[in-house]
Amino acid sequence: MNNFVELNFGPQHPSTHGVLRLRAKLDGEIVRELEPIIGYLHRNAEKLCELTFYADNLIFFDRMDYVASMLMESGYLEAAEKILNIPPPERVLWIRVIMNELSRIASHLVWAGAFGLDLGMLTPFFYCFAQRDYILDVFTEVCGSRQETNYMSVGGVYQDLTPEMIEHIDAFLQSFPKKLEEIYRLFVKNDIFISRNKGIGVLSKETAIDYGVTGPMLRASGVNYDVRKANPYLVYDKVDFDVPISQKGDNLARFLVRFEEMRQSVRIIKQAITKIPDGPFFNPKAKKSMMIRLRGDGEYYARTESPKGEFGVYIVGDGGVKPYRVRVRSPSFKNLSVLPVLAKDQMISDLISISGTIDLVFGEVDR
Amino acid sequence: MSEPESDSISKGKDGLTIHTVSKDRLLEFMKDMKERGFNHLSLITGVDRRDYVEVVYHLHAMDRDEYVVVKTTTDNGVVPSMTSLWNSARWDEREQYDLMGIKFEGHENLKRIFLPENWVGHPLRKDYDLSNVQYINMDEDGEDYATFDQGDGW
Amino acid sequence: MKSGDAGFITTTVEKALTWARSNSIWPLTFGLACCAIEMMSVQASRLDVSRFGSEVFRNSPRQSDLMIVAGTVTKKMAPRLKRLYDEMPYPKYVIAMGVCVIQGGPYVKGYSVVLGVDKVVPVDVYVPGCPPTPEALTYGIVTLQEKIRGETDR
Repeated sequence: MNNFVELNFGPQHPSTHGVLRLRAKLDGEIVRELEPIIGYLHRNAEKLCELTFYADNLIFFDRMDYVASMLMESGYLEAAEKILNIPPPERVLWIRVIMNELSRIASHLVWAGAFGLDLGMLTPFFYCFAQRDYILDVFTEVCGSRQETNYMSVGGVYQDLTPEMIEHIDAFLQSFPKKLEEIYRLFVKNDIFISRNKGIGVLSKETAIDYGVTGPMLRASGVNYDVRKANPYLVYDKVDFDVPISQKGDNLARFLVRFEEMRQSVRIIKQAITKIPDGPFFNPKAKKSMMIRLRGDGEYYARTESPKGEFGVYIVGDGGVKPYRVRVRSPSFKNLSVLPVLAKDQMISDLISISGTIDLVFGEVDR
Repeated sequence: MSEPESDSISKGKDGLTIHTVSKDRLLEFMKDMKERGFNHLSLITGVDRRDYVEVVYHLHAMDRDEYVVVKTTTDNGVVPSMTSLWNSARWDEREQYDLMGIKFEGHENLKRIFLPENWVGHPLRKDYDLSNVQYINMDEDGEDYATFDQGDGW
Repeated sequence: MKSGDAGFITTTVEKALTWARSNSIWPLTFGLACCAIEMMSVQASRLDVSRFGSEVFRNSPRQSDLMIVAGTVTKKMAPRLKRLYDEMPYPKYVIAMGVCVIQGGPYVKGYSVVLGVDKVVPVDVYVPGCPPTPEALTYGIVTLQEKIRGETDR
């Protein structure tokens, strides 16, 4: 027992996706025990939410899952708009679906590029980021910011989608599927990539549910749970899409599920830009009362599907202008907690590829 | 199977059923809930109500997609741990201990998850004083410690 | 520099050294938060930073000249950041990227964020924004090059 070597990874390490620190006990090259140490990006967002007005809290949610900020915003607003009793008009729901899915593609592209880097593949990184930049161009057009968009607001969005913007989204959708297949081939035609991921890090269905794993990781283990289908929010019940599932539960399955999700997102946006109705892009009640500050009462738990899994926001209001308590169910936090189980008795090089497929974003783990 | 008995049942704004259970019967009640198919403990939240602390559990039945809320209250900040039933409670309880100061009885590794072990106070408590700034530094072994001395840490 | 008729260039040793130094600033791969993704965009195909000689992001502080502090520095991370800075060889430079790094940004009221990385390490160039666009960071790197060459007193 005393022969184990203790090894520290991080918090600054090229393949820990941010500030993850791992303390591993090694028997030769085999990981016997693993303890993730987190909190290096603990930015006290939950405390600050209690000190800030309802409408302003969006900035903290933008910076939680910073590669998919649109999804974080709509996740918070699902709860906040119910607490504040300000339903958004129909057109806004469709705009949010379009932005959510664009953001989901952007997030998965960042993941794919970084995952390639972890395994020593530099080329996919450039391909992925080139495509992501086209999505960020759309975001810049609608709200003026690339990454931390702050596009959505209570009861609406910051500005309407003009026909010109929809044209640009359409142009992206025309070119993107071809490029996506190109990126896909870069990975799956690579023998080293396949052999480093096939059959590695197998997560069983029962363990996944027990640890609270959700999102692509859970679906790769054979559980059909997608909040967009299970509990349709926005207008996800009015668009047609499939939920990719794999029964294998290994690294490769998680990779394939994420790529199929991107293809399905393209399908959703294509339908949404043809079905989007005309109408106002803001609830007039919100715009007027924004000045006198909104008051919220009651408690609400809203769950949405973020690229990492089930993103839940639980808000407790006490009738004041600020929330009494905001609690975030961050999917990355739960998904990371299963890493010691996955990495047990695996090679140390596999530890890197396993932690890569979890898709960690530390703004969300530590909040 | 018959419905497990809770002290009172109400409905939240979100349409979820809220069971309120006293903390002595909580573990037993949760065991029943797990047998009824709630195999996914989604979220543990501590809410500081100033006089007492409320602990909110969001349970989810993955197969039939049903959500319920279980609430309990505690005066002295001690509630039974759920780690024997769901592994997802491990980190959630550590986080609530760190930020809210709730002690989970029966948790085998109840230590702070975000902040250093000797941090004074629990930040999400309503009586936490933000103006009393604490700093963090690292000792020789790479372990963090908190300090009130600005010259010692950052 | 003066070019002579015979096809050679005369310059001082110091000028030649700073010219070479300024055009091969190798940054440390040091992503902390949101800004790190924009730092990666600088490296990617659209704004290829290798045009300015900074393409090689080193993973080891011993081989790098520039630390781009990209993302919120928490109190728990600050001792590690200081250690990484100490491990870098001279001459070394620091770019503070984003308002969180400059003065705390949106988290300025909180309890766990360092209000400005210049409390921990000396900063050469500040790049404001939340997050700064990749173009802004590129401008920051170019400004640092000018500073190294002594062309600006900013």
